[in-house]
Amino acid sequence: MADKTIMLVCAAGMSTSMLVKKMEQAAEKNGMDVEIFALSANEADGKLSEKKIDIILLGPQVRFMKAKFEKKVEDQGIPVEVISMQDYGMMNGEKVLMTAVNL
Amino acid sequence: MGNQDLQEKIQIITSKVQDNKYIASISKGLSSMMPIILAGAIFILLDSLNFDFWQSFLVQTGLKEFTAIPSAVTLDMLSIYVVFGVANAMAREFNRDGVAAGSIALLSFLILTPMGAADDGTVFLSMQWLGAAGLFVALIVGLAVGRLLVFIMNKEMYIRMPEGVPPNISRAFEAVMPAFISVFLMLVVRGIFAVTPFENIHEFIYSIVQAPLTALGGQWWSYLIVTLVMCILWFFGIHGTLAVLGIMMPIWTTLGLENLEAYQAGAELPHIITGTQFFLVYTAIGGTGATIGLAALFLGAKSKRYRTLGKLAIVPALTGINEPIFFGTPLVLNIKLLIPLLVAPLVTSSLAIVATVLEIVPRLNGIGVPLGTPIILSGIISGGWRVAVLQVILAGISALIWYPFFRLIDKEAVADEQVEVPVAETTETFA
Repeated sequence: MADKTIMLVCAAGMSTSMLVKKMEQAAEKNGMDVEIFALSANEADGKLSEKKIDIILLGPQVRFMKAKFEKKVEDQGIPVEVISMQDYGMMNGEKVLMTAVNL
Repeated sequence: MGNQDLQEKIQIITSKVQDNKYIASISKGLSSMMPIILAGAIFILLDSLNFDFWQSFLVQTGLKEFTAIPSAVTLDMLSIYVVFGVANAMAREFNRDGVAAGSIALLSFLILTPMGAADDGTVFLSMQWLGAAGLFVALIVGLAVGRLLVFIMNKEMYIRMPEGVPPNISRAFEAVMPAFISVFLMLVVRGIFAVTPFENIHEFIYSIVQAPLTALGGQWWSYLIVTLVMCILWFFGIHGTLAVLGIMMPIWTTLGLENLEAYQAGAELPHIITGTQFFLVYTAIGGTGATIGLAALFLGAKSKRYRTLGKLAIVPALTGINEPIFFGTPLVLNIKLLIPLLVAPLVTSSLAIVATVLEIVPRLNGIGVPLGTPIILSGIISGGWRVAVLQVILAGISALIWYPFFRLIDKEAVADEQVEVPVAETTETFA
């Protein structure tokens, strides 16, 4: 089991999957044991019941879903954060990863 | 800050739309149809590929009989799948049994659909209302029955089973009440419509709701307005495509489906704007905002920052993904780039519409090219090489439109990058 499991949520899951790759590279470089994956908003609902998620990150273009996700996980105490536009646009995997684990 | 408040207000509205369970069920229900639609569409392509040698091959091997079957049972009967899918999605929104909802919804839909008897006594179900024509009824029934099932289960109007009965069995009985009630209600509805001039609910919904809305959605001006709204939402950093698509999906799906049915029958294609397909093929080249031009221009940028962005963004842009461009340039809340963002897709769409009206390119065939299909390939699937060529031309026009604005921000970025160097030198001398 990885140390931390991070779930990224986007509209279709495609742009976030690029970010996931970069984050995984950064994690390896820093010797961190994390499991990261990206899903579309639709699938994210189902995944929450299946798997233990430690951190939820939302793509900035779906930030309007933050309240919905926070409500869904409020009893589990999972932090829900929106990825900053700059980091997302430049696909800065390292920065997003560091922000996530420090939540 | 004025912009922030406006952005938040728009976000709240958009989230209300997104969260609305009915709209979400329609979107999820229709999206889950994709494998079925694609399976049918691939065979339509295979069946109608316009090469003499291919067609004679099909006829000679007897395969021609088979290639027409998948589309007949998928697209021509899509409403059957849709009613199940939408009811399923609806029930799941409330964490209830989706399969039960779907089955009961299908039952309800069939009750409302006229059946006939042939002269030799065979009972048949006419496919008239099972395809695109029945789509809106399928959506309505799917939502209604899904919601009804949730309501009944919430009120716990079950047939109570005695204590010792295993949970699986008592659970199966939970769905019995909703089934009974739905059947009863549907019979009442059918009865009511039978005495109206419409004769059945399909005729009614089709003529009063579906046909006018679809006609409206297929008008060039309503399409351009929709595109404009999407780009404005994106300007505010909200996934405009997702939000607007959620609302337009029933109409856009119908437009595409009607063209596809005609294409398959070898008839004239009724619509110029085929909904989502038209959007993905002509309007959102490189992503919403026709950003492929910008992505390509970035590759040749003078500033390091935009060159890096270009390398990052060009491959996704080829498949219509442009979040890197949106958040990296950024296009979000960037007034300087608002004009090309709005103008580029309007221009590409308008040119495509004109080209289709003038019959320079064929009308799109309604095949639901999935998001992520690369440019040119999506054109070929949608209408052949002419469409693909037009796509390339439109991409070039997109680059032309973005160019002056690109030059502006590139120059500024270069200036920024030059300022950074002298600052570093000054600090060193003080060290």
